[in-house]
Amino acid sequence: MNDDLLDKDERFLNAEKKMSRLVLQASKKYKTPVNAMFTRLSDFTKAVSKGLIRWGRVNSLWPAQFGLACCAIELMDFGAARIDAERKGYLLFRATPRQNDVMIVAGWVTKSMVPRVKRMYEQMASPRYVIAFGECATSGGPWWESYNIIQGIDQVLPVDVYVAGCPPQPENLFAALMKLQEKIRDKHAGSKEPTISEDIKRAEISGIHLPEEDNSSRL
Amino acid sequence: MSIVRINVGPIHPSTHGVLRLVVDLDGDTIVNVEPHIGFLHRGVEKLMENRMYMQSQSYTEKLDYLAPFSWDELYTSAVEQAMKKEVKPDAQILRVIMLEYQRIASHLVWLGTFCNDIGQIFTIFMWSFRERARILKLLEDLSGTRMFYVNLRLGGFYKPLPKNFKDRAYKLNEYLVEKISEYKDVIEPDPVFNERTKNIGVLPKDKAIELGVAGPVLRASGVRYDIRKAMPYYIYDKLKFKIPIGYKGDNFDRYKVRYEEIFQSIKIIDQALDMLPDNPDILGQPIKLINPNANPDIVVVHRELPKGEGIIYMVPDKQRPYRISLRAPSFINTFAINEISKGYKYADLFANLGSLDIVLAEIDR
Ligand code: SF4
Repeated sequence: MNDDLLDKDERFLNAEKKMSRLVLQASKKYKTPVNAMFTRLSDFTKAVSKGLIRWGRVNSLWPAQFGLACCAIELMDFGAARIDAERKGYLLFRATPRQNDVMIVAGWVTKSMVPRVKRMYEQMASPRYVIAFGECATSGGPWWESYNIIQGIDQVLPVDVYVAGCPPQPENLFAALMKLQEKIRDKHAGSKEPTISEDIKRAEISGIHLPEEDNSSRL
Repeated sequence: MSIVRINVGPIHPSTHGVLRLVVDLDGDTIVNVEPHIGFLHRGVEKLMENRMYMQSQSYTEKLDYLAPFSWDELYTSAVEQAMKKEVKPDAQILRVIMLEYQRIASHLVWLGTFCNDIGQIFTIFMWSFRERARILKLLEDLSGTRMFYVNLRLGGFYKPLPKNFKDRAYKLNEYLVEKISEYKDVIEPDPVFNERTKNIGVLPKDKAIELGVAGPVLRASGVRYDIRKAMPYYIYDKLKFKIPIGYKGDNFDRYKVRYEEIFQSIKIIDQALDMLPDNPDILGQPIKLINPNANPDIVVVHRELPKGEGIIYMVPDKQRPYRISLRAPSFINTFAINEISKGYKYADLFANLGSLDIVLAEIDR
């Protein structure tokens, strides 16, 4: 999921190495304080490239304004007066997936919603994170025997944080987002393990038959 | 001019869930709106037929998640009727109190989201959720959970009343009246609100009856019909309250009817609290299997839910319902969207949809 990102990081690191080598060579040739400053500047850019971007990512998680069922009411309460979610930088609910970082799946996902949820996830820009909010998104919840839902969103999307409860309290979402921030800070976010839908072997074992996307009713 | 077809949803911030609308436009004027439903379908009725009576309670309350207790109470009454079980008088009073608090909570969420849809972004939303949080806190102390209270048992409740419940409820009512009457001063003088609601989305009286809409949508069109008055249950016939109705059936009337209903509900709660004794006897029995000798007949129960008239039709069996069918008010109200949007501008579509107060889980079931 983050492959292109890693590539970019690597390329950036190579450029960094090259640049610091050049600067070191130059400083050997001409011994002036300006060159010493340059070497330190390169360290500085290195630190900035690592830290600043991650700092920005951690502190401006924009969730998707996307509710499915009952848990979405707690999601609304999360954005309302009792819990002031804005103080942590979470509140900017955006209606278009192209501006989102986090997708909070709140509610049961029916088979007819699977292609739509997947498409929404694909439209989000990388790096993107998924929170399974509530029993339904985690495992199917009270409806897990129903013929029309999938037992948890992790069958189609990689999930970063699970929140248990039916519905979880809005405070739990706060905790989940803080957990996600920790994950991003420590660079653990975004599991590289293929999801069941991508991994044919696992899909065969668990016997999941996801509905084919129907091009005639494309949305 | 040629007709343009626009698809709205199912993932859309203003459809209040996952509703898909296919809108035909002539220029900017709506010619036809076709709601497509079923994105939340999980087969509740079928699941309930495979569950014991006491297990289904947590299914019914997830139908309308803005007022879970109302559906819960409707289902429990159906089981009580099948088992020919009387509800204790004190428990009746407490049920009425809880039902009315749920009605207020549901209308408050509606008010907040409707104002969001219309362009009064977040002011009323924040206020109404603040008041709703107070109500939920009181009900949480009564039942143990915040949103889904599975606290009904045969003939009563599963827990005794907390000690200072009455005082807290009286205080809460005072607070609600004080705060909610302030909303009017923000909402009604607002030119944007008036422009977007008055004479928009008109549903005439005869059309409303023809479509079979229920609840505040029906009453806003000028039909004075409320199950609480028409077929009184529990202690509603001993209480004094009015049924607010509208005259034109436009969006403003639908807002006004719900807004007035909040105050009527507070009045009902105050009267019911007066009737409630200090140490009420409200404990019920756990829901058990239906006695094989009882020979239960078909059960039909009507209730006035916050969204309209809810009906459960049940053919009981000994362990589980043989057949159960739910009449969800939102399901019927949704299909009024075509009638009230035809001929208006595309921009009015979401004001109209918001004014119907639909819950998708109840529609799709
Ligand atoms: S976990 Fe419970 S509250 Fe949340 S969507 Fe599922 S049924 Fe509703």
